Amino acid sequence: MSGPLAGLRVVELCDELGQYAGKLLADMGADAVKLEPPEGSAARRVGPFVDDEPGPNRSLSFWYHNANKRSVALDLEGSEADRERARALIARADVFLEAGPPGRAAALGLEREALAAANPRLVHCALTPFGQDGPWAHYAVSDLVALAAGGPMCMNGYDAADAPGAPPIHGKGDQAYNTAAHYAVMGILTALFAREATGAGQFIDCAMHEALSSTTEVGLPHWLYAGRNVIRQTGRHAALFRTEPWIHRARDGLDALVYNVGRDNESWGRLKAWMQSRGFGANFDEARFDDPVARQGGRGGAEAGEIMAEVARFVAAHDAEEVYRGAQACGLPWGVVRAPDETLDDAHLHDRGHFVPVTGEGLEGSALMPGAPCVFGATPWELRRPAPKPGEHTEEVLAEW
Amino acid sequence: MLPLAGVRVVDLTWIIAGPTATRFLADFGASVYKIEHEQAVDPIRLGRPLAGERPTLNNSGFFNYMNRNKRSVLLNARHPRGMELLRRLIAVSDVVIENFSAGTLASWGLDYAGLRALREDIVYCSISGFGHTGRDREHTTWGPTAQALSGLTFTSGLPGKPPAGWGYSFMDHTAGYSAAIAILAALWHRARTGEGQHLDLSQVEAGAVLNGPAVLDRTVNGRSWRRAGMPPGNRAWEPAVAPHNTYPCAGEDRWIAIAVMSDAEWEALARVMGEPQWARGERFATNAARLANEDALDERIAAWTAPRGDYALMAELQAAGVRAAVCQKPGDRVEHDPQLAARGWWRTLPHAELGDARHDGVAPRLSDTPGELRAGAPLIGADTRAVLSETLGLDEAELDECEAAGVFM
Repeated sequence: MSGPLAGLRVVELCDELGQYAGKLLADMGADAVKLEPPEGSAARRVGPFVDDEPGPNRSLSFWYHNANKRSVALDLEGSEADRERARALIARADVFLEAGPPGRAAALGLEREALAAANPRLVHCALTPFGQDGPWAHYAVSDLVALAAGGPMCMNGYDAADAPGAPPIHGKGDQAYNTAAHYAVMGILTALFAREATGAGQFIDCAMHEALSSTTEVGLPHWLYAGRNVIRQTGRHAALFRTEPWIHRARDGLDALVYNVGRDNESWGRLKAWMQSRGFGANFDEARFDDPVARQGGRGGAEAGEIMAEVARFVAAHDAEEVYRGAQACGLPWGVVRAPDETLDDAHLHDRGHFVPVTGEGLEGSALMPGAPCVFGATPWELRRPAPKPGEHTEEVLAEW
Repeated sequence: MLPLAGVRVVDLTWIIAGPTATRFLADFGASVYKIEHEQAVDPIRLGRPLAGERPTLNNSGFFNYMNRNKRSVLLNARHPRGMELLRRLIAVSDVVIENFSAGTLASWGLDYAGLRALREDIVYCSISGFGHTGRDREHTTWGPTAQALSGLTFTSGLPGKPPAGWGYSFMDHTAGYSAAIAILAALWHRARTGEGQHLDLSQVEAGAVLNGPAVLDRTVNGRSWRRAGMPPGNRAWEPAVAPHNTYPCAGEDRWIAIAVMSDAEWEALARVMGEPQWARGERFATNAARLANEDALDERIAAWTAPRGDYALMAELQAAGVRAAVCQKPGDRVEHDPQLAARGWWRTLPHAELGDARHDGVAPRLSDTPGELRAGAPLIGADTRAVLSETLGLDEAELDECEAAGVFM
């Protein structure tokens, strides 16, 4: 094992909520053991599935979130002997990561105090929707409901011109769960440092609601310091006032992200030259376009509006990828709005070995999936094993640990 | 004692992504030295909301929010003595973090090799748009660029409409979290082996890993997310369930999110709605039927929610076992959210120009060594002399000399 957390033992009792935290630890080299009921984790029932055929080993979501883990199947609901096995594993672990409503693990015979008594060095992280206490502690969520309550959803939506009366919009991909998982892992690693100093483990109350409430950028400061709510806008930052659109349809039907136009003279000069070489922006040489303040949407006057209208015409006459790359050459942070799977078409990501081949039931050969969120120079990210079958490692782990 | 006490971080970051990482480290006790230069200040120091009309460098609420618990050191790296002091500070620190464009720090002679020459076991974290290798490494990003290129923007929107995107730099937060995790893991490895390393964090990659199942759907099943009906707005993708949407409530722009994940939850919702005739029919009896008739289903639920108050409805639905929550705006969370209030989430710290300034709390909550709010964001350069004295032992005469020579600006 080569990751930075090699040698660290983690027991994970998580379904859709929490499994990404276990993945982050496992992917960094931890020996992560997933406790599952004999029929398998509920996360195995989340699609998409290989060839759209459900099955405990055919969930691509499960593959992605559980590669690098080992599976131990125990009947915690029905068998006291299995509960004892779970307690014995946790007694030998550095980290116990559980997710769900507060009290879920305790109801399965894994009480916080007893676990700590048996293993005073244990870092016990309980990831819950709203935290261990408070009036909403036992409220139930999904990713949608968590993003609504936590605040990120109210940052994004539409201008009335694009979709009158549109609600706040739920970005997909279980990003509420992912954000909660990031906080869980930050907390676990921090608690391990505390253990280095004190010798003692501790309990981590990780509330998804609090994690999300700290993940809404300038929305919160505008309220905390000025008492104002931002308004939702199509494809760009929520703000106190309407700003110029950032997303424009290109010739090939894809959307280009176009912003920060004219902020500085250097990138403006290059953008102007590029557009003029293609027959656009003929009047941009007029002196009234020389002032950066006048050029910026929301701050200047007529010039900003004129520039953005011409840029939109320019984008409509070119393919999105060409717009993206040409603007980058001008020093502008423009982009293309890609579908998640279209990252596979980006040669740069392949240069960096971002995608890794994974195997699984029903698949001939292997298929690529995203790998490391961060490239570690000395302790590289590694796919050591595909997602386990339910209970695939029960005997092995019980004997080894 | 705070768990990261004793960890020294030379923080060369600005705007949001890097400062998010160092905010977490500082909350848990790391000494975070924010290196600043008056000729190129962190733009967030000028960012609204401001106390008063004009930016003073010290009156931005946004800056205060991002940079609490840190210390500010003014160091003019273009002055030879400024660069020398920066190098000496690195030599006695554990972590260097920056979010410049790829190549900027190298141009100062401070690439990983240069940093290692100063401190053999340094943990160096670079946050850039595309990483330090690969053909597009010189491209630049802000959060929205990373969101667009990694697939996140696309997944957020109504079918047939332009992408709604995230409405803020979600990937600045998330790159910051990923960087904090990488730094902590690298420090853990260093504590075991004595070995430091370079953490090359690409904001695009940190976003691309957040949609793994969608990538596998193409590499395994040959199906792209770019197809009719996608993205599905607030309806479910996987697992496919219905009802799963936002519904209007009484008042202007008030919404409740409801997600029914099973037949039992559907029956619970039907009970709360008073068992209307329409909900009993075969059209909505099973999840498959509800999905097939989702337009009619959503219309009827919306008609039922529209005259109702959002928080009361949330309480009623949750009491019945239905997953539901108000779509909370920032003001809702601060002024109304009973959960955050009960857990003491909102805190106040004094600040010289912002007065008694409010902050959010520290997540997650560690039972024995919780994170702390110790001080608001530093005034620019407030800690220059103290930090250089504590870390490098500069005496008053040396500090005065540097000051006079224009090193601290």
